[in-house]
Amino acid sequence: MSGKITVLLLDDEAIVGRRLKPALEKIGCTVEVFEDPRRALARLAEQTFHIVVTDIRMDDIDGLQVLEQVKKTSPATRVIMITGYAMMALAREAMELGAFDFIAKPFTPDDLRAVVARAAESLGLAVTSSTSE
Amino acid sequence: MQATASAPPESAQPPRSATGRYQSIETVELAQKALSSRKPFTLRLQFLIGCLIVLLFGTGVTIMLIMTTSEVGQKVHLLEIVNDYLLEIQQARRFEKNYFLYGTNLPNALENVLRAHSVLEREAESLRQTLGAAAYERVLPDINRYEDLLQRLIALKSQNLNDAQTIAEKKQIEQDLRTHGQHMLTFAETLMVKERSLLNAAIARSRGLHISGLMGLLLIIMVNSYVLGHRILGSIHRFETYAARIASGDYTPVMPARRHRDEFTNLAMAINKMLLQLESREAVLMQSHKMRAVGTLTAGVAHELNNPLNNISLTAHMMLEDYVGMDDVERRQMIEDIINETKRSKNIISNLLDFARESSAQLEPLDLAALLQDTIKLASNQVKLSKIKLEFQAAGNLPRIHADSQQLRQVFLNLILNAIDASPKGSRIQVMILPADEPNYVAVKVIDFGSGVPAHILASIFDPFFTTKGKGKGTGLGLSVSQGIVAKHGGQIRVASEEGKGSTFTVTLPITTIPAAITQQPRLQLDTRPAHD
Ligand SMILES: Nc1ncnc2c1ncn2[C@@H]1O[C@H](COP(=O)(O)OP(=O)(O)O)[C@@H](O)[C@H]1O
Ligand SMILES: [Mg+2]
Repeated sequence: MSGKITVLLLDDEAIVGRRLKPALEKIGCTVEVFEDPRRALARLAEQTFHIVVTDIRMDDIDGLQVLEQVKKTSPATRVIMITGYAMMALAREAMELGAFDFIAKPFTPDDLRAVVARAAESLGLAVTSSTSE
Repeated sequence: MQATASAPPESAQPPRSATGRYQSIETVELAQKALSSRKPFTLRLQFLIGCLIVLLFGTGVTIMLIMTTSEVGQKVHLLEIVNDYLLEIQQARRFEKNYFLYGTNLPNALENVLRAHSVLEREAESLRQTLGAAAYERVLPDINRYEDLLQRLIALKSQNLNDAQTIAEKKQIEQDLRTHGQHMLTFAETLMVKERSLLNAAIARSRGLHISGLMGLLLIIMVNSYVLGHRILGSIHRFETYAARIASGDYTPVMPARRHRDEFTNLAMAINKMLLQLESREAVLMQSHKMRAVGTLTAGVAHELNNPLNNISLTAHMMLEDYVGMDDVERRQMIEDIINETKRSKNIISNLLDFARESSAQLEPLDLAALLQDTIKLASNQVKLSKIKLEFQAAGNLPRIHADSQQLRQVFLNLILNAIDASPKGSRIQVMILPADEPNYVAVKVIDFGSGVPAHILASIFDPFFTTKGKGKGTGLGLSVSQGIVAKHGGQIRVASEEGKGSTFTVTLPITTIPAAITQQPRLQLDTRPAHD
């Protein structure tokens, strides 16, 4: 199956979105980037995504709230949490709430791509190889 | 962001260390010198002088008492003599009367007169002394004559002649006898009266001396005890206030308060030495507590550091991946991102490192608002982790204060960290600077809406090692150390709290427009002029 994998990426650090959007696009994802969790939630209400990648810790609304919201509206969506160092408790909580996996900062684009690939696979989708060029 | 308070170069502030409510080795040395330069006048000396005065006065009074007592004794003795003499004379005259009435008892009269005479002679010495020789000589002829007359009368009577000549002679003798008898009696009686009044006077004098001597002694003892007691109690009271002051964390050395040097001066010097010890011990405590705070902050910093690190890592990896296909603008953009994120990392740690740095206590003019902003930044990761909203407000136009920035940051950080610990997720902490209720003070309030302090422990929270937090979480040193620091700056920490509603910690600090204003505080006069009590 080679339908485009839709990904919503939410992190209040602008650079994260700026760098990861092209990185994920390379493996065949369509990526929408958000810095503001409210806007992201609004968008999630409009459309379901295959995969949501969200930072766990943000000022206003945290990643757990986003996770809950997503799980409520589209349980099939795979949610990948980005956590900080030494936030195992939060990460565990996220897993209990139904997150697909978590990835700790600092990570490399490949780290994320690997997790996204697994998530896509679990949905019966496949990513395209990126490291060929 | 670094503190905007401009610290003048080190060399521009040589006397700084000796100013302010700040304890340093120099101020203690100055205090010690001032204390030991007083002229000695010890309590011991005053006590000895008092005893000596009592002793001298007592001896004087005793000698005088002995003298008056012996005088009274003499007078009593003399009075006895005079009395004997008077009795004999009276008796002799009674017999003389019998002779005139019944012609009997002449020899008895003679006997009494002889006895009176012998009294006079026996006591010649003392009589001469007290009556004076002249008076004594005047009595003798009378008594001699009386004796003589009596003897002649007895002789005449025994001859039993009844001639006219004899009768005439007898008549003459009898007349003389009466006259001299009368003389003798009058003399004896006047002597008696005179001696009695002299004795009374001597007794009265002696009594007066007893009373006034005793009263004088009492008075001297009272005055001496009062002066000594006043001196001791005054000093004890003074040391009581020192103790209270030291207990509140103000380690300003004890300065001389009196003109003289005594045992209490030694005590003051010992206290000053102790203050140095306390000071250095407190510095250790302060530093160790600061390191605890740094430890707490480190977790937050490590967490916060992940963001720029992650940004750098992602950017560098992507740049490596896409290097060939990128244009210059893109490359430049990515390199700039890396540079900026590196700067950001540096800022995240430098604030903490700056705070953790061990620094020698130093007073400098400070902008309190900038210092607080700095401190809030230091705690910002903790605040973010706890999902707390920290609001900061500063009243405009606040004057600078004169303080040690490192130490004040530690105080406010402690208060903010405590507020964070007490606050539930998502609540609010307010930090504000405003003019205090007292003039010339500013107040910093740290307000939380958390658990509050239960009334029964409110009195203990400033005690060292008092903590309600679990093992490994709380040290119980934060408020105690903070109170010490604030007291040293001439300020106070107060708390108002309601269980379940939240707490307000208020730090008041004195405003000093010019550093010299601090040295004008009377307590800190370091000159060696005697201060007046
Ligand atoms: N803002 C606050 N709200 C409620 N309780 C507080 C607050 N600040 C301090 N306390 C109480 O005072 C105690 C002592 O505080 P502190 O001296 O800073 O030591 P520690 O924080 O290590 O316990 C704390 O354990 C807590 O019980
Ligand atoms: Mg504390």
